[in-house]
Amino acid sequence: MKKGESLLAQKRQKDTNRVAAIFLAPVVILLVIYIFYPILETFRVSGFDWNGISSNPKFIGLDNWAKLFQDEKFWTAFLNNIKVMILSILIQIPLGIAMATFVEFAGKKSTIFKILWFIPMLMSSVAIGFLFTYALATNGGIISSISQLLGGGNVDLLGNPKTALYAVIGVIAWQFTPFYMVYCVAGYTNVSEEVYEASVIDGANKRQYFWHIALPLLKPTIKSAAILSMVGSLKYFDLVYVMTGGGPGSSTELMATYMYKLSFAQFNMGYGSAVAGGMFILISLISLVTMRILNGKKEDY
Amino acid sequence: MKKRMMRIAALAIAATMTLSLAACGGKDDGGGSAASNENVTENNSEGGSEEAPADNNNSSDGDKVITYWNIGTEGADKQALEYAVEEFNKNTKSGYTVENVPTQNDNYKEKLVIAMSSGECPDMYTSWSGGPMNEYIDSGFAQPLDDLYEEFGLKDKYMEAALAQATYNDKLYAVPTYNVSLAGIFYNKEMFEKYKLEVPTTVSELEAVCDALKKEGITPFALANAPKWTGSMYFQCLAARKGGLEPFQKAVAGEGTFEDECFQYAGEKIQEWVEKGYFPEGVNSLSEDDGQAKQLMYQETAGMLLCGSWYTGTFSSDSPEFYEKIGWFSFPKIDGSDADASIQIGTIGDQFVSFNCTGDKLKAAFECASYYSSDGAKELMVEVGKIPPTKDAGDLITDGVTKQILDAATNASSVQLWYDQYLPPAVAQVHLDTCQEMFGLTMKPDEAGKKFEEAMEEYLADK
Repeated sequence: MKKGESLLAQKRQKDTNRVAAIFLAPVVILLVIYIFYPILETFRVSGFDWNGISSNPKFIGLDNWAKLFQDEKFWTAFLNNIKVMILSILIQIPLGIAMATFVEFAGKKSTIFKILWFIPMLMSSVAIGFLFTYALATNGGIISSISQLLGGGNVDLLGNPKTALYAVIGVIAWQFTPFYMVYCVAGYTNVSEEVYEASVIDGANKRQYFWHIALPLLKPTIKSAAILSMVGSLKYFDLVYVMTGGGPGSSTELMATYMYKLSFAQFNMGYGSAVAGGMFILISLISLVTMRILNGKKEDY
Repeated sequence: MKKRMMRIAALAIAATMTLSLAACGGKDDGGGSAASNENVTENNSEGGSEEAPADNNNSSDGDKVITYWNIGTEGADKQALEYAVEEFNKNTKSGYTVENVPTQNDNYKEKLVIAMSSGECPDMYTSWSGGPMNEYIDSGFAQPLDDLYEEFGLKDKYMEAALAQATYNDKLYAVPTYNVSLAGIFYNKEMFEKYKLEVPTTVSELEAVCDALKKEGITPFALANAPKWTGSMYFQCLAARKGGLEPFQKAVAGEGTFEDECFQYAGEKIQEWVEKGYFPEGVNSLSEDDGQAKQLMYQETAGMLLCGSWYTGTFSSDSPEFYEKIGWFSFPKIDGSDADASIQIGTIGDQFVSFNCTGDKLKAAFECASYYSSDGAKELMVEVGKIPPTKDAGDLITDGVTKQILDAATNASSVQLWYDQYLPPAVAQVHLDTCQEMFGLTMKPDEAGKKFEEAMEEYLADK
């Protein structure tokens, strides 16, 4: 009797495994083809001196990587990425929380804001890029027009190496803040109604509720939002490519735009791959360290 | 429990995002090298010769379709480039047909590189000659055409400068198509009359004109320098008028240097002009593709525009009435410089067709390209405002400005292809970046020259 049962269990287990394998197979195959294999390929190609089209790449070992470490342009680009990352987290997430809180507190009446604020998220990055290139134009752009109304001169934001990066960061914030708003709105739904009612009964006003109850409960949401924003900023490409192309000079060059230029415009696929590999390592490292720090502290409510 | 779930979710999301990034970077690279492996095996089986066609999929057996990539997506470019294809498909006895695949100019180069790296290189494709074309040739994506030129009797038809720009390592690798473009200055004739200005013959006269326009509240030069190559034309013209072409050619060969006096002069002059307000405000953020330079001309808030002479077509198709107001002069000589002022910067035969096929297919493709120098094609080109790069172009052209440009081209002692096309792409990038920074006054000419030279030396050292 017992033996039969265990046989049955074994058979069932086997079946489950087989079904699991069948269901997982498409995902695993796609992951391998489109993610794992290209990553390995990138690292392999980075060992070659190759223009991307010729049939005989020359193996040069770690020369590309040695060059990468000394490449001023790459580290400038990395620094720019770090600036984008820090400012994105500092601007987008607090704004997102503020907007979500407003929407949450104002209830149904605020649906119109929810919709309006979400619109930037629905637009394609390239369209946003073009839109803002015009809005920030020195002649006849919005900023310049306002400045002239106030008696100032034209303002050249994108053409000035000192301000171009910050102008782009502002546009990135415009695009992505709504995403963090929605993210936090979702976070709020996780905070149960009872907690709010209990705090009201205990005599907390809305402000106290936000600072002492809602915000701590939103912490996990904020943490993952921060990680999302961080990784997103480090691999950022499209708006910069459309708005400045990395210029003026290399003042808005990011790792991804640099990689693209090297690989496809300058016929330097080998080194471009080394840059891609460098990006991969740097982003992974930063993400791992941050996640360690953020998740290391044990807190419970 | 909830917290744990959140943590796992965050980790998963972060991991996917990092990975998908690498996939973006890697996918193209990876795909490319995979294809290159195929190329290696194929070429090995053909003896591994450098010039074996790297043509995997479109192998000629039984396949009678020739794919042809070019940038003729709209307007005059489309008309002129399509013409040869239509004529060929109508008249040919070769049994082949040509499939025309036009691509948007801006992304054309990248698309071509990706196609080549993944073994999908078209049988015929156009390029701007220079550095990138040499890369294609070195990588085995173009065939030498001297024999076919003889067979079809094309050599005598084209201007020598056009053939020179289609040549690499003393062999012809491309067929010029539909235009002659020189860097020159377009100006508003009405405006010059109104303010009693003469067409300048020297740079100091040019500066006097600029000062006079400036006084009237008009921006002397319309320039949109976001794409960088537009501003680079000023640099190229100034350097060529100061020192001729020898310093440039020597620097490219590694015998001279980009820190030479003439490049220094060009940089200093540009910065002097920026400081004097000869260029529009925010020049480095204005976009050429969006027409922000020509708009200044149309609004008549700018008096002159230095650019490639394809602008004749742009002006005349945008507004024939405005085109009436336009005059043209070649970049004036520099006072006290003995450099040959007939030298021009530009391209003779703009858009060069190269071929990635062999045997009968190559012959058929070449036959197609030969229609670009047929009488019908030349008439069409002239009609749509282009200058055919053939010796008899002068007989066909009646338009005053176009005639002037053609004369400048035929009288030029030599024509230097645009730096950003001619130089190896990595060096060109450094030149464009530093030149734009000079316009932004964030880099001094000596520093720019140093970086330019370093990039060139690095390239030559790797060679």
